[in-house]
Amino acid sequence: MSRKGNILYYITIAAIFIIMEVAALGMLKHNGPLQDTWLSKGIHGFMSAVWGGTESISGYFHLRTANRELSEENEMLIRQLRKYEYMYGAISGTDSLTAYCVGNYMYIPATITKVSKSNQHNYLIINKGSSDGIKAHSGIVGRNGVIGIVDAVSAHYSYARAFTNSDMVVSTRIGRDGAVGALRWNGRDSRGAILSEIPQHIAVSQGDTVYTSGYSAIFPPDIPIGTIEKWKTINGATYEMDIRMFTDFSKIRYVTVTANLDKEELKNLEKR
Amino acid sequence: MKNAVQNFGIMFPLLLIAQVLISNYFNFSPYAMLSILPAMILCLPVSMNTIWVMAIAFASGLAVDFLAEGLLGLNTLALVPVALSQKTVIRVIMGEDLLTRQENFSFKKNGAAKISYALVIVQAIFFMIYIFADGAGVRPMWFNMARFAGAMACTFPLSLVTVNILSSSNN
Repeated sequence: MSRKGNILYYITIAAIFIIMEVAALGMLKHNGPLQDTWLSKGIHGFMSAVWGGTESISGYFHLRTANRELSEENEMLIRQLRKYEYMYGAISGTDSLTAYCVGNYMYIPATITKVSKSNQHNYLIINKGSSDGIKAHSGIVGRNGVIGIVDAVSAHYSYARAFTNSDMVVSTRIGRDGAVGALRWNGRDSRGAILSEIPQHIAVSQGDTVYTSGYSAIFPPDIPIGTIEKWKTINGATYEMDIRMFTDFSKIRYVTVTANLDKEELKNLEKR
Repeated sequence: MKNAVQNFGIMFPLLLIAQVLISNYFNFSPYAMLSILPAMILCLPVSMNTIWVMAIAFASGLAVDFLAEGLLGLNTLALVPVALSQKTVIRVIMGEDLLTRQENFSFKKNGAAKISYALVIVQAIFFMIYIFADGAGVRPMWFNMARFAGAMACTFPLSLVTVNILSSSNN
């Protein structure tokens, strides 16, 4: 028999052998309940191994595409990270960077030159003023949350109410899409705050993060501020929550002033 | 030669009937399985094509499964691999010459030792598959091993007799 004929002969034998064994297994599966379960288990195991294998092979051949997509995504994330670093003055740890726009907000890095920490009406002065583009009622944020609101501006300095001022209230949200409430300093320690006006039907858990709501046109939305520690019911209708702030107001130095570029437009719209 | 084929053609079905009787009436213990089917397949003429050997094994297994008390497909499942390995076992144990000359083996020509080795191999293939499939993964390993050892020991003398009958009718 030729070599080609030999190969064909062996292939035929193998095929017939497989057919006979499959037929025998089929009969066995049909006639023995134990064997039925056993074979079904085996078949499922085999099929999952085959599918898993083909999936792995398919994944291997798509690695080039996956790599390209990951690389693009990585590049996009790096760009975003740079923007945020820029926003919070984190690249050099100083405010030497120039103003930067993301969305409808302008971010101006600044350094705190003076801060009061010992009374109920704390304030701070930053080293940027109207000549740097800062206007009154701009927000001030730090690396870990809200710092204050600009009250008055000179050419090179700005006077701002610190968050640790009993007069200051910030509109916040529980989670990124939860209930909105008013956050104010608790008047006692540099990291404590109180979140009020949260309806009682809202489900909350200890450790939930509180973000800026973005409703005030002073602070951009979704800046994490702190986490929920405990809560109590007020007048049987709303919750009042103790918040642990991410920012320690006794250690702040570098901040970023946030200015809503559409503020005037929004104001005019409200006047109508 | 014609007589030999006729003799083999008569003896093989008779032994198949004997196997059916053994399967039906000689069930003393689960450890003492008796099956002369592997020996019968081993003794099929060397000149016979492997496809035919497998077909005969399939039909024989099915006949025993159908006529004896047991699971349909169990003997068939175990016997077809014996048929597939028949020529390889003969080649390894008896030598290539036997296959080249297409001669059938016998105690007289090849000796009891070689035939015993070949029988042990085909019996082992048969019982391993049979016991594994019969247990369906629910019986403990020690039970399967004990059953395998028991079946090998009980069947071996009977297989020697089978080979003696078939090889003498074959030659």
